[in-house]
Amino acid sequence: MVVQRFVAISALVVLFVVFSITTPKFFTVQNVLTVGLQTSTMAFMGIGVTYVIITGGIDLSIGSVIALSGVVAGLLSRAGIAVWVSFLCSLLVAMGCGMVNGLLVTRLSLPPFIATLGMMQIARGIALQVTGARAVAGLPEKFGVLGNGALFRVTTLSGDGRQVVTFPGIPYPVIIMVVVALVFNFLLRRHRIGRFIYAVGSNEEAARLSGIDVHRTKIIAYLVSGVLAGLTGIVMMSRIVTAQPNAGVGYELDAIASAVIGGTSLMGGSGTIAGTMIGAFIIGMLRNGLNMQGVSYFIQQIIIGLVIIAAVAADRLQRRSER
Amino acid sequence: MDEELLRVENVTKKFPGVLALDRVHFELRRGEVHALVGENGAGKSTLMKILSGVYRPDEGTLYYKGKPVVFHNAQEAQRAGISIIYQELNLMPHLTVAQNIFIGREPLRFGGYIDDRQMNRQARELLARLHVDIDPTTPVYALPLSKRQMVEIAKALSFRSEVLIMDEPTSALTESEIEELFKVIHQLKQQGVGIIYISHRLEELKHIADRVTVLRDGKYIGTYNYGDVTLEYLVSKMVGRTLEHKFPPRTSSPTGRKIFEVKHLTRAGVLHDISFELYEGEILGIAGLMGAGRTELARAIFGADPKDGGEMYLHGRKLEIHSPVDAIRAGIGYLPEDRKLAGLAVEMLLCENITMANVEEISSRMGVIFPLKERKVAEHYVRELDIRTPSVYQVVKNLSGGNQQKVVVAKWLFRKAKVLIFDEPTRGIDVGAKYAIHRLMDQLAGQGIGVIMISSELPELLGMTDRILVLHEGRLVGVLRTRETTQEEILNYAAGLVSALS
Repeated sequence: MVVQRFVAISALVVLFVVFSITTPKFFTVQNVLTVGLQTSTMAFMGIGVTYVIITGGIDLSIGSVIALSGVVAGLLSRAGIAVWVSFLCSLLVAMGCGMVNGLLVTRLSLPPFIATLGMMQIARGIALQVTGARAVAGLPEKFGVLGNGALFRVTTLSGDGRQVVTFPGIPYPVIIMVVVALVFNFLLRRHRIGRFIYAVGSNEEAARLSGIDVHRTKIIAYLVSGVLAGLTGIVMMSRIVTAQPNAGVGYELDAIASAVIGGTSLMGGSGTIAGTMIGAFIIGMLRNGLNMQGVSYFIQQIIIGLVIIAAVAADRLQRRSER
Repeated sequence: MDEELLRVENVTKKFPGVLALDRVHFELRRGEVHALVGENGAGKSTLMKILSGVYRPDEGTLYYKGKPVVFHNAQEAQRAGISIIYQELNLMPHLTVAQNIFIGREPLRFGGYIDDRQMNRQARELLARLHVDIDPTTPVYALPLSKRQMVEIAKALSFRSEVLIMDEPTSALTESEIEELFKVIHQLKQQGVGIIYISHRLEELKHIADRVTVLRDGKYIGTYNYGDVTLEYLVSKMVGRTLEHKFPPRTSSPTGRKIFEVKHLTRAGVLHDISFELYEGEILGIAGLMGAGRTELARAIFGADPKDGGEMYLHGRKLEIHSPVDAIRAGIGYLPEDRKLAGLAVEMLLCENITMANVEEISSRMGVIFPLKERKVAEHYVRELDIRTPSVYQVVKNLSGGNQQKVVVAKWLFRKAKVLIFDEPTRGIDVGAKYAIHRLMDQLAGQGIGVIMISSELPELLGMTDRILVLHEGRLVGVLRTRETTQEEILNYAAGLVSALS
């Protein structure tokens, strides 16, 4: 894991330097903030799924929960409910999805893969059903603030009276990302629940025989994944001021990828928020830089695939040489 | 029938730090059942693995049908006609009986298709040789354990095996299944197969064994015609040694104040009406053969397995224990048999393992962990228990077995446990560390903590305990005063030859 983290950080630095040199507009304030904005949603999902993966589980329902929570927020807002209330309700719905995942995994002892695969279908189905598979548009202006607003935006009046943006400000999603990363990092590293999550993932039987409530611990991990998927959905839909029931298809795999690139082991027991953030930034920066270079989306897919394999392979090779 | 099939002479096998076999002899004739007996760690498994090609001896020669041979792996030995049936059978449950027997050697039709009809016919023939009634097209998962064993035997015969090694074949069988197995063994004998039979259950040897070889501490003790010796004689040969000063002096002694009491503890099919008491200052041993229910007893007390009846009292207070959480709250700590599987999170840090059962103590009411407090706690126990580690932030898997065990002890001390159940506390630990663990147990008993020790090593029980409970097939058959008993007596109880109770 240590090696993988080192490889990941180096990869991030190398990427940054290479793109800065080869792509003229990459290293500008505007673009760095764009990378941050694009990475934020990946980071939310990645942090959530990191919790689940550390317990030895997996969450395949993230993409669908994104769609469901976005749709719930959209429909409620359009029905005239205050935007912040509808956001809150959609987070609760997403949390409910996580709760159900957790209960299925613990009470019914379903394999996490199966439980969340089922939830993936169910949440998507509900999102499509309640919207008739149509995008929810015509949303109030306030719905877009979360995804499009920024803090410290500086504008000046130019000579001819137009407003000129001298500093675009820090997008709200980036601020939320920093807060979420700090909070969930704290919970994982410094809070009892984090300790229990590592213990359960590291050796479930030992944790149980030490008196740790294994079920409760796992349910909390799925709750975290659910609620962060909900947050992702709100932020995504807010950016386009439209709720798309088709959004987020396959996003759970991006989330898992960022966790794994950052050194989280699918066997459970290890992983960090810092690592996942690095993983999210690697994917985000790759997408952004390759886009600016004019590399096709298909080639991007190939490159990201190679990065995932290389990151984990580096760790495996290192471990083998230790033996 | 006196033709020699297999013979080893002066075979020696070393593992890092252990001399597993020291110039051992063994010989097997055609058509005989040759039993191999000895205590745990006597070298039976190692010898078996050498005979079946899994290990290669460091010294000594293996003769098969009169010629010296070297097997490089188990497949080579199997092709030559030496098959081994392990205690945990090696069958694929979702394949049929015939598919299991011929796995990798399926009869083929032209074009490379598997000839199912031919395969099933051959399987039927093999099973008929054993006079057992099994349909070769049944999936193995649908068979009871005893029948699966027959499938393993049929598989061995399909290799035209002339030597069959059976490791504890009856450990999981019922009485009638054992009878069935013995019939098959008689069949095989008549067909000229030589059988090496390893068992803890000495009393069952009388039905089948022709000769017995005893190993002790990796050394060859002797080979006897079964008819010429008594069971008691064999037991004395297995045990042999007298106690050396391998154990620390006991500083604590029972005060007569009762700490803990178990009454009529029962778990259907596993534990039958077990009652005992534990006194302050006492180390109480639990002896028994494999499968006697020792670990099951510990797990039932600790709430890790369900109970069907019974009561427990700690300092006179009745306990309601339905889960490990209840047991821990009540003040009972369990140090499992397999540290790495159940006692420790080996990928986590030493300090995290020590605090694992009592994280509340090092965190705020809101759940925030105080790293400094955790470090101090861990450092305290590292000093107290003399855990050898560069720092409390060491990953546990990098510690030696003895130090790992101390970490588990520290975990329960930090939880302020009042009763500690040690399950095979010194298994896989080197001699020096054993001494340290034993001294620690004595100290704990002296501090008023109730200490229960489950062990397969009789010298350990005799060296450390005050009283010994002996279990046999889930029943408490004897409560012995350690000072007045002997290994022979314990073994006689454990083998079910005598029973003082029930």
